[in-house]
Amino acid sequence: MFPWTDGFHWTPTHIIFLSLFGAALLAILSTAVWGLWNTLNAFRKHLAAATCWRQNFGELPATERRCRHELAGRVPSRLCDHAFDCRTCPNYEKLAALPANAPASLAGVSYSDDLLYHRGHTWVRSDWDGTFAVGLDPFAQHLVGSPDAVQLPEICEEVESEGVAWTMVKNGHKIRVRAPLAGTVISTGGPDRDFYLKILPHGQPNLRHLLKGPEVAGWLAAEVVRLQMQMSNGKTTLADGGTLMPDLMDNEPGADWDAVLESTFIDR
Amino acid sequence: MSETALIDRRWIARDAERASTARFLLWLFPWVCLLLLGIYAAGLCFYYGLNQTNMDNRFAFGMWIFLDLSIIAMGAGAFFTGFLVYILKQTDLKPVLNTAVVVGLTCYSGAVAVLMVDVGQPLRAWFTFWYPNTHSMLTEVTFCISCYLLVLILEYIPVLVQNRQLRRVPSFLVFEHQAHKLVPVLAGVGAFLSFFHQGSLGGLYGVLRGRPFAYRQGFAIWPSTFFLFILSAIAVGPSFLMLVVAAAEKITGQTLVDFRVYRKLGFISGVLLAIYVAAKAIDTYVWLNVTSPRLGFGPWDYYSYWPFSSTFLFAATVPLGLLPAILFIVPRTARHRGLLLLAAALTCCGVLLNRFVMTVQTLALPTLPFDPFLKYIPSWQEVATFGGVLAYGVIVYSLSYRYLPMFEATKGEAKNVSLD
Repeated sequence: MFPWTDGFHWTPTHIIFLSLFGAALLAILSTAVWGLWNTLNAFRKHLAAATCWRQNFGELPATERRCRHELAGRVPSRLCDHAFDCRTCPNYEKLAALPANAPASLAGVSYSDDLLYHRGHTWVRSDWDGTFAVGLDPFAQHLVGSPDAVQLPEICEEVESEGVAWTMVKNGHKIRVRAPLAGTVISTGGPDRDFYLKILPHGQPNLRHLLKGPEVAGWLAAEVVRLQMQMSNGKTTLADGGTLMPDLMDNEPGADWDAVLESTFIDR
Repeated sequence: MSETALIDRRWIARDAERASTARFLLWLFPWVCLLLLGIYAAGLCFYYGLNQTNMDNRFAFGMWIFLDLSIIAMGAGAFFTGFLVYILKQTDLKPVLNTAVVVGLTCYSGAVAVLMVDVGQPLRAWFTFWYPNTHSMLTEVTFCISCYLLVLILEYIPVLVQNRQLRRVPSFLVFEHQAHKLVPVLAGVGAFLSFFHQGSLGGLYGVLRGRPFAYRQGFAIWPSTFFLFILSAIAVGPSFLMLVVAAAEKITGQTLVDFRVYRKLGFISGVLLAIYVAAKAIDTYVWLNVTSPRLGFGPWDYYSYWPFSSTFLFAATVPLGLLPAILFIVPRTARHRGLLLLAAALTCCGVLLNRFVMTVQTLALPTLPFDPFLKYIPSWQEVATFGGVLAYGVIVYSLSYRYLPMFEATKGEAKNVSLD
């Protein structure tokens, strides 16, 4: 087998045999090394968060992949196939120009027309100094209420779009909140302030992937329906017209909160 | 829900329906006991040596080798399904791909574990790599099986990191994404390695000139058994896969894959089995009429020792070969799930019988006028060790089914998501 093995001869048969096995072993080892190397590279080039997000997105059921234009009532039915990244969607301009017809009810939750909203239930506000404030949206606040613990990134730390912006713990559940945009953290707030993070993006960010206007109402309506279904454990659903109760995690401890939080913060 | 059940539930895929923790533990209990008994028996073989078995210098291949050959053949579903999906683009078999990987991994790792005990000197197991016998088919088998086990481990990792909690670790998720790009390469390498080691397992019997019952003529350096073992392995692989999925469906009470997948696996198995039966018939004819007489043995010299009558030859060829091939191929019978599964079971039994005959009957039959007919009954340690491997396979598959998206990944696959 090997040149140092008794019985090995430099004959074509032995050489072919050795080469074939050497090639097979090399192929196996090099594919393993290639996989590890690319994984390390993805982290080094800040592509890991995007890759993880796309993997997560691929796991979402169709009901949670509805296009913003469907939510806004611009088209009857449309699933997103761009991982909610409207910046890469070739149909965005065409569909955004259609008239919106979103539901008016906001289930007792107030949303601002001045803010942009991320599907992971964060809002983004553009501040005068070129930074962007990020906070937890009212829907998520109604769910989580007052978190037991919050772990915010360090000042000057980089966050990646769709990566983990901060984590919270509530009733033993670890919640990872996705960053709606990439940049450097220049200030941190928390549940007691009106923002969680202030982010300085690299250059002028394109925020087309964030929801605004009538899309928010449609999205919220869909989220409330989803929440009702999950909290009723697939049995009966609540009647329309109610408002979202505050501190739901404290008030309804028996619900399947793992499932609810995974869907709410898109962290499957 | 108790705290333990809640923690257990967090490891199970979100939309997957699984048994309660208590029920699952109850299912595992007898298998864990069998595994522990197997480990104890293997420990005895390690501690006291191979005198714990009923093998000896004449009967050096026993139950372990027979079952090793059988499970390696049945594990061929892993490489063959990978080859069909990634190389031949038969993507409709994707729903059973994860199962094929787990079945292959358990079959091959189980076989390697038993071989470690069978070697008798496990501390010197590495000698086979460093001081290989360049003239032995077993060298090729050892190298191929070891390399292919590496391939199966690499193929299993992306399945493993799809676990609900492991997915939360970003590096695992990124590696899974990268690993998926590599799987076609691994499928190709796996097919190459499996092709050779399945063949060499047959070849090692076919080259035994001193054993006319096994000796065969062939092509170049490969006896006909080399090709017959490959054919039978790729025929039985899909059949065994069908049986595993059907067993999982029966135990869990869920429909896991579409019936069309069964039909396709059955058709592939049937066509290959038909080719195998035809090749085997020609091989047997040449062996009985040309090869064996040249070595001084008539056909009935092999079949006059009880229990090895000609019934074995007939059974392996017709009811366990031709019949399942017909059941698989004829559309009228292939439409019935029960008949498909019966055909799959018959195919597996046929390959088991073939491996038994090649291993045990070959060594039992006398080759010289003064040789006695040898009898061999495995010791309890041999049976228990293999029982341990069986239990290991069931436990690994059960855990994989419970905690990994074995079928869910393809059920809810987002078809139009671009990942690059």
